[in-house]
Amino acid sequence: MTHDHVSCKKLILEYLVEYEDGSMPETERKELEWHLEHCPPCLVFLKSYRATGRTLRMLKPREIPRNLADAVIGFVRARCAKKE
Amino acid sequence: MAANEDQNASDLELVRRIKRGDEQGFREMVDRYHARVYSLSYGVLRNAEDAEEATQDAFLTLYRKIDTFDESKKFFSWFYRVALNAAYSRARRRKPATMVSLDDYVPRLRDDGAAASEFTAFVDGAEDDVIARDLAEHAAGFIEELPQAYRDAIWMVDVEEMKPADVAEVLEISLAALKSRLHRARLFVRQRLLEAAAIQPPAGERRVAP
Repeated sequence: MTHDHVSCKKLILEYLVEYEDGSMPETERKELEWHLEHCPPCLVFLKSYRATGRTLRMLKPREIPRNLADAVIGFVRARCAKKE
Repeated sequence: MAANEDQNASDLELVRRIKRGDEQGFREMVDRYHARVYSLSYGVLRNAEDAEEATQDAFLTLYRKIDTFDESKKFFSWFYRVALNAAYSRARRRKPATMVSLDDYVPRLRDDGAAASEFTAFVDGAEDDVIARDLAEHAAGFIEELPQAYRDAIWMVDVEEMKPADVAEVLEISLAALKSRLHRARLFVRQRLLEAAAIQPPAGERRVAP
C-alpha cells in the first residue's frame, strides 16, 4: 500500500464525512487510517475538521427566553380567538 | 432507534389529543418542543426576537394545520419542516445575505492533490476554552454567510446535534445530498475559522482575565 492509495484530495473532499460518522466500510476505513498515520498534513487537517465541529457545538443558544412557552400559548389563543 | 420510536409514539398521542380539541394536549406539545423550535429558528434568523416570533408562528401553524398531519409519518419531521418554513418566511422579509462561493473555501491542495501543511493555531486554540468561545462567536457569523441550504444542514447537525438521517428527512433530501452539503459547509466554516484563529493572540495571553 502506498501513501497515494487514498489520496489526500479524495480523503478530504470525499471520504471524511463517512469516516467521521462511522458509516465507512471497514476496509476503506483501514486504508484511510493508514494514510492518516503516514501523512502529517492530512492528520492536521482531520484535527482542524474535528475542532470545527467542537467549536460549532458551543454555538447552540443555551438561553431560551423566559416565559416563551406562555408567550406561545397566549399568541395562539389570541390569533385563534380573533378568527372565531 | 427505539428511543426515537418511543418519542414518536408519545408525540402521536399528543397529536390525537390536540385533534380532539384538548387544550392541555397543546400545552404539553408546547412544553415539549418550544425550546427546540426556538433553537432551530435561531439558527436560521440569528436574532432572539425574530426567533421568538418564528416560534410562535410555528405553533400557530401546528394548531391550525394539525388535521393535515399524516399520522403514518414522523411527527417531528413534519413539525420541524413547519418551523423551518416559519423561520424562512421571516428571513425573507429581511435584506438578502451576501452569498459566498463555497468553492473558494475548499482546503488548499498541492497540484498533485496532496494536502498542504497548514498552521495549527486553530487546532490548539479550539482546545483552549476561552479561545474556543471566541471562535464560536466568529463561527456564528461565518454560518450566516452560507447559502441557506448549507446553513440549515450545518446548523441542525453540528449545532443542534440532530442525527443526519433525521435532518435529511426534515429537509426532504437524500442522506447523500445532506452529507455533501454538510461537508461543504464544514469546509467553509473550518477555513474561515483558520483565518480567524491566525489573528487571535497566543493562548497564554488569552488566559489572563481582562
